[in-house]
Amino acid sequence: MKTSDIFSYAFGAIRLRKLRAGLTTLGVVVGIAAIVALLSITQGLQTTIGDQLQTGFATDTLVVSTGRGFGMSPGAMIAAESDFELLVNYTQIIDEIEDVDLSVAVIRKPGYIKSGEREFLLTVVGVNFAKYADIYSRTFVAERGDISLNPENETVVIGKRISDPWKNGTIFSNVDEVVEITWTNASTLPPKNETYSGHVAAVLKEIGGFGVGGPSDTNVYIPISQAQSFFGIDECDMIIVQLENDDDTTIESVSEAIEEAFGGQVNVTSSTAVLDTISTIFSTVELFLAGIAAISLLVAGIGIMNIMIVSLMERTREIGILKALGMKSRTVLSIFLSEAVIVGLMGAALGIASGWVLANVVARVFTGGGFMSAGNQAAAAGGMTITPVLTPTVILGAFAFGLLVSVIFALYPAWRASRLKPVDALRYE
Amino acid sequence: MATPIVETVNLRKTYMLGKVPVEALQGVNLKVEKGDFLAILGPSGSGKSTLLNMIGALDKPTEGKVFIEGVDASTLSDNALADARRKIGFVFQFFNLIPRLTARGNVELTMTIPGLGRDKRRERAEELLETVGLKDRMDHKPAELSGGERQRVAIARALANNPKFLLMDEPTGNIDSKTAREIVELVKKLNEDKGVTIIVVTHDQQIASQTRRTVLMIDGSIVEEKVN
Ligand SMILES: Nc1ncnc2c1ncn2[C@@H]1O[C@H](COP(=O)(O)OP(=O)(O)OP(=O)(O)O)[C@@H](O)[C@H]1O
Ligand SMILES: [Mg+2]
Repeated sequence: MKTSDIFSYAFGAIRLRKLRAGLTTLGVVVGIAAIVALLSITQGLQTTIGDQLQTGFATDTLVVSTGRGFGMSPGAMIAAESDFELLVNYTQIIDEIEDVDLSVAVIRKPGYIKSGEREFLLTVVGVNFAKYADIYSRTFVAERGDISLNPENETVVIGKRISDPWKNGTIFSNVDEVVEITWTNASTLPPKNETYSGHVAAVLKEIGGFGVGGPSDTNVYIPISQAQSFFGIDECDMIIVQLENDDDTTIESVSEAIEEAFGGQVNVTSSTAVLDTISTIFSTVELFLAGIAAISLLVAGIGIMNIMIVSLMERTREIGILKALGMKSRTVLSIFLSEAVIVGLMGAALGIASGWVLANVVARVFTGGGFMSAGNQAAAAGGMTITPVLTPTVILGAFAFGLLVSVIFALYPAWRASRLKPVDALRYE
Repeated sequence: MATPIVETVNLRKTYMLGKVPVEALQGVNLKVEKGDFLAILGPSGSGKSTLLNMIGALDKPTEGKVFIEGVDASTLSDNALADARRKIGFVFQFFNLIPRLTARGNVELTMTIPGLGRDKRRERAEELLETVGLKDRMDHKPAELSGGERQRVAIARALANNPKFLLMDEPTGNIDSKTAREIVELVKKLNEDKGVTIIVVTHDQQIASQTRRTVLMIDGSIVEEKVN
């Protein structure tokens, strides 16, 4: 029997049981969709992280914080176990260490920024503008205005998302405008609001990412001296250290030297280590999703097998007729496998399409998580954009996988069909 | 004399019903020459269908031999048996058409199996359906046809690959007597005009009287042979 005839016979058999074939296919669709969504998001993420490597994560920097754990957010800094304080002027100690280019202290506090009638909660960051711009020369860059390297106390630099929070051109505040910065001092009783007027000197260009200690679209920057007097502290949240180079040995020796200098009371984290942690988290998530995909494909496969065994019984007589007409066992086998191939291919095609849609929906939910709506904590993540990527390899792989699963699980029923004896099959009621 | 088209030598078939052996055939010797029209008669359970299945290479004997055009079927592999069946036309009591295919589709399927091209098989299917008088019913599915019409489709299908002989197992068993007479006429004409060799199992005296030869089976043996 010709291959084309085998396929058209198999196709006719499938068409007869549309609902059943549809449900069988659905199992494959779900499994393939999960895999495709997963892969295209992961690939998109990899691209995003790759970009971050060049912007948010300078690989030749270290972050020094107190030994109370690494905090990406100010909230993580609250729990105090020791009396050790990381002071702003400790940068002088760090600058002395070999292979250190320069270091900059960062003070981060939640605060409000008010322009006109509107007010937003965000993170106020105090840094030395000159040094900060030196370390983050690619991201701490003005789109409008100038980042003064010798700023007045009132100078304020704002992230792109604070200038244009809704991403639609509705400007919240702009260069040369006056904004009110408010901080709630909770150490006094009752808590007291402190406010001062700042002058927006620059709006940063869009960074579109997340970084550790690095500039962010959702921060407000004020000079470190102003931060010290405004918040009434000399303690900083972290000191960012720029190294001469990003060799592993340099990173290690400087980290050790810094820890030693502060008697082991500080925590030194390299950007590389953070990246490693993030990619570990991602691969865990990936593994988890891959597990789900694998299980759904397994279930799909069992569904195919189950349905084929049922249809085998229904079609026993048909098989008997085919054999009486002189059809060979291997042709009967081919017909049943072709049915599985058709189901697998249709399932894969639909699965790739729906997986792609799913990936884009997930990416949009991730990316579009409103900046101001969820407050400043979510804002950091809100800046991260994932664009799902669908490579030809993924498409081919999905087809191959859909085919493989359906054919493997069809093997047994198809083999049983092919082994039926013509007389027995014809006698079957 | 030429080799008979079908010859059975001391053919035995024993079914095991649990531990009880059922001897369906107990040493059947039968010769069918080319162009013959043979009726096999006998009471229910006498082994007629069993004999037909052996001759048609649908089943293997327990003992004895079946020669199809001189070739011992018991020596053939499964694949070779499948090939042999392509040259045998079967007509069953319950039609055994494929329900989802049209009359034409059913006839074409027989020619699809040996790999005949689309145009050729279409042409031949239409020709055959015309021969059995179903010119206007070609695109009907079995469910849309009467019993007699279905059996005609089955006969057209059986003839599709130019078989060496036709095997019919109670072809009129499920058809009213008037239609049965028409089917008998058709079969008789195939034998007389086209020289098709036919072996038919039947209860129907009316068919038996039209054949060239009848054999009577009782309890798995041929007990009587008669030339009409
Ligand atoms: N697959 C089988 N397993 C067990 N016994 C069988 C099987 N097929 C047939 N038999 C037995 O063999 C005997 C002959 O059966 P067969 O079908 O050949 O009879 P038949 O002459 O065709 O009868 P009918 O006229 O009713 O069709 C019967 O006793 C039947 O019960
Ligand atoms: Mg019978």
